[in-house]
Order: sequence, then structure tokens, then C-alpha cells
Amino acid sequence: MAAIVASKWFRGRLLMGNLSNSILGSLGTPHDITRLDCTGFFSQQLRTFIQMRTKLKVVDNSGAKWVRCIQALKGRKGARLGDTIIASVQEAQPRGKVKKGEVVYGVVVRAAMQRGRCDGSEVKFDDNAVVLVNKQGEPIGTRVFGPVPHELRKKKHLKILTLAEHIA
Amino acid sequence: MRLEKCWFCSSTIYPGHGIQFVRNDAKIFRFCRSKCHKNFKMKRNPRKLRWTKAYRRLHGKDMTQDTTFEFERKRNRPERYDRNVTEETLKAIKKIDKIRVARDARHHAMRMKGKKAIERQAAKKELEQGIPLVKAPLALKEDPSLTLPKNKVMVHLSQPEDQMVE
Repeated sequence: MAAIVASKWFRGRLLMGNLSNSILGSLGTPHDITRLDCTGFFSQQLRTFIQMRTKLKVVDNSGAKWVRCIQALKGRKGARLGDTIIASVQEAQPRGKVKKGEVVYGVVVRAAMQRGRCDGSEVKFDDNAVVLVNKQGEPIGTRVFGPVPHELRKKKHLKILTLAEHIA
Repeated sequence: MRLEKCWFCSSTIYPGHGIQFVRNDAKIFRFCRSKCHKNFKMKRNPRKLRWTKAYRRLHGKDMTQDTTFEFERKRNRPERYDRNVTEETLKAIKKIDKIRVARDARHHAMRMKGKKAIERQAAKKELEQGIPLVKAPLALKEDPSLTLPKNKVMVHLSQPEDQMVE
């Protein structure tokens, strides 16, 4: 009956030509409930500023695996998403571009602590991760893994954005 | 400007509201408010919480299949601006809204059909079970109707007046 009413009301309207009450028309937004359980790591991750002695994952192919922050270059309390830090390499793969114990610069591309966006909403990530850069801000590695925020564009890290797999 | 849907309760998220969580596999979870975000962090299933849209859809509380929902679909292709199309669209929005509300009302009416009879039955049963509380069993034997006895209480109005005079 609804279809009859609808067709009567909208006869000849191009925009609403497909307004008929078909069963297969629309379904609700699917929720992937099953994937919910794999966020166990997220609940354990510390959600604070990136400060001295914070360990961060390195998400590029520079050869380092983990770095430890020794200085945040901006902010009194520490670095946040998109900020640059100085770090020492804690763990590195053999034959990489950087070695264990080296002091490197890095851009925080993922932070578990939420950061306000330009429109007022907030964004947060699963873990704390950096991409190693040189003093001029060019990435040392040639690949970037995982999602990175689009705020890096504002910070003039366009190279990281182009290398990134996903931009959130 | 894009109006997103909350991952948890499926409500609309207007720009500048809520928080979004990006998992390491780049899936984005958007939440309209801290309530939804906290529930997500507690790993609650939105299908089991009565206030979410997912629950209401799953349990047939809300209209799920309707062509009026087709109009608020996510479209990634930008439309070229056309004055006539915009005008038509603005007109159409009102009509579609009206149709959706009407269909929703009909769905609700269909869902509530038979509810009154069930309520009456329940009330009748309760009355039969609880009648000794208000009508003594002996009185019930004399007058088997379930209507409550009209008790007449004599009130002496003259006495207090006399006391007042004194």
C-alpha cells in the first residue's frame, strides 16, 4: 500500500523515481561486533603525553624497532600527536639505517592520548608510534606502516603522508 | 560537511562532536559522546544494550527496511552543483520526511496492536487473584460480583459543632 501511495505522490519526479517499498532496499549499518575483541592492547596502553622515557614503536623501515623518548621538542608537558621528539634507539634490526644507541629525531604519528582536531572533535590511536626523520624533517625510511593522522599536513610532514598506507 | 553515524548507537555525529578512535588496521570508530565511547572501551555489545539503534533494529522495535532510508546513504562521489536539482532536493526532503514519519507511525501502530487486550487480560487476572485483599471471602460469597462493595460510613457532623460552641 505504501508503494502505491508513494508512486501516486511522486509521479514524474526524477529524483524520487526509485521510491518503492522493496524489501531488499536498505539495511542498517553493519556493525562488525566480532572485531571488537581484538582491542585488548588498546586498554593497556598508557594514555599520557609522550615524555622522557616513553617507549615508542617505530613504524617505518629505517631499521629501528623501538625508541625511547629523551626530549620533546615542543610543549611543557611533553609531545602529542604530530609533534617532533628526540629519541634514542632501544632496539634495532641488524643492517638497518640506524643502530642501537643512536640519537634520532622522530615525528609522533600515532598517540594513544586523544588530540583535538581543528573542528573540535578528538582523535586517538591504538598505540604510540614514531617515524624517524633527520634534522631537516625528512623521513629516514622509505615506507610508513599503519594509519597516520591528516594533521601531519599542517606540520609540514607531507612526505610521511604520501608514504602512509592509510590517512585517518 | 559530512554527518557521520556513531559506531555504537548509530546517532548522527555533527561536525566538532565526539571522539574517534583509529585502530591499527586503520578502521575508524566514531562515537557521538563519551557514553558511547566508554561503553565501547568496556567492550559492550551494542546489540545487547536496549538504547542503541542496533538493538532496536535487531528486535523489531524500529522500522528497518524502508526506501526512505536510501536517501541518507553515504555517497563518495561529489555532485556538481545545479540550481534546479538543489531546489528539487530541498522540496523532496520535506516530503520524504513526512513519508518516513508516517511509515514509522504505522510501524509503531502495527507493533502495538493487541497490546491493549493483553493489558486487560493481565489486569483481570490480577483482580481475580487479589480480590480477597479488598473484599472479604464471606462478602464475596454473598455477592459474587467482582465490583468493590460500597461501604457506607455514618458521619456525625453535629457533634464537633457542639464542641465548637462550648
